[in-house]
Amino acid sequence: MTAELPGQRPQAASAGELAGLLAKVARGDEAAFAWVYDRFATVVYGIVRRVLRDPAQSEEVTQEVLLEVWRTASRFDPVEGSARSWLMTLAHRRAVDRVRSVQASAAREARAAVVATDYDVVAEEVETRLDAQRVRRCLDTLTELQRESVTLAYYGGYTYREVAALLGVAVGTVKTRMRDGLIRLRDCLGTDS
Amino acid sequence: MRLRRTDPHTLAGAYALDALGDADRENFERHLGTCEACRAEAASLRDAAGRLAEATAAAPPPRLRGLVLAEAARTRQQPPPARVAERVRRSWHGVGWPAAPRMAVAIAGVGILVALALGTLLINDQHKLHLADAQRGQIAAILNAPDADIMTVRARTRGSATVVMSHAAHALVLTTARLPALPPTEVYQVWLMGTHKVRSAGRLPPPKQGMTAPMIVAGLAAGDRMGVTIEPAAGAPHPSSPPVLMLSLPTG
Repeated sequence: MTAELPGQRPQAASAGELAGLLAKVARGDEAAFAWVYDRFATVVYGIVRRVLRDPAQSEEVTQEVLLEVWRTASRFDPVEGSARSWLMTLAHRRAVDRVRSVQASAAREARAAVVATDYDVVAEEVETRLDAQRVRRCLDTLTELQRESVTLAYYGGYTYREVAALLGVAVGTVKTRMRDGLIRLRDCLGTDS
Repeated sequence: MRLRRTDPHTLAGAYALDALGDADRENFERHLGTCEACRAEAASLRDAAGRLAEATAAAPPPRLRGLVLAEAARTRQQPPPARVAERVRRSWHGVGWPAAPRMAVAIAGVGILVALALGTLLINDQHKLHLADAQRGQIAAILNAPDADIMTVRARTRGSATVVMSHAAHALVLTTARLPALPPTEVYQVWLMGTHKVRSAGRLPPPKQGMTAPMIVAGLAAGDRMGVTIEPAAGAPHPSSPPVLMLSLPTG
């Protein structure tokens, strides 16, 4: 598809473009796969590392995610959502699966303190990016509890029950805050696909 | 079951954030399979959640690119979803699990066949099967779905399973007949084997006159295969024995 703008940031790739690239990847087009890598590896690695924190594990999982894209590109179904959503789900789930299967609970508890201070720490890494700024701006429109619930789950890789324990609020409250928070986030970011 | 006590809609946010444990996720996906509005909401919330990754972008070590591209070059890709019959034949040569015996029949289209396979259980035996109203409604919705596929697969041991699957609902109804009876310490457990992981779809209900009541398996994803194994009575977190039957699910 429109894979001829080398300087373009990954975030600038539209969902439609990624879908087009995936179709090529599905046909075994290694160049198209290299484009997918160039445009999305930073987002994939970024979220995986955000969740896992350990650089070596993050590399490993990033590699797994991107190879999964290569292997299963033919299975991407636009009916079920945008290509970027598909890719991000793949990446986030892999990271979260790794957290929940491998990481010892002691290590997870050690992470909690860091995670709780949260998203603006990480955002420093990408301050110049407009998209990141927009996400942060939209996160700021959430209530504090909504924001904490959403970011602990997404960036921290915690289950909603764990989030409830960390925040010291009822499980039911966390569930509704997560949903309300995402709805607000979605409306703030605008529809994407 | 859990979803009757909790309003499943409140889980949409946690689901989109991958913040559900396995059991909650299974329940919620089961619910999604029967609720189109919920699927739409879940997709939009998942999209919003995915945008959060934009705030954490970070360049991976440069050497990763070469590693990934080289690994891809020597990794075989999965084929696209094919037509039902083709897929069904191919399914026995799938990756991972041992090859299962061949498919007995693969028939597209529903109606009389569904009635034969499931109708008697559903309509004449409702009382005996103690199906909850809600569950009956879900089953009927899948059986009557315009895109429903019916498939029968023979078990490696004895007996067979019949599946009616609706792609749009991402759900299927499963019944079995004449599977070998198990001692009380064991149970047949149903699994969905996806590209990422194997999820339990629950245990088969105990048979009545050799047949099991229709069971809903929801939250199907493209590329899933369905397998049945024998597990301890309480069920197992992962399949621990070779499947007695396996079926590649058509992906539309």
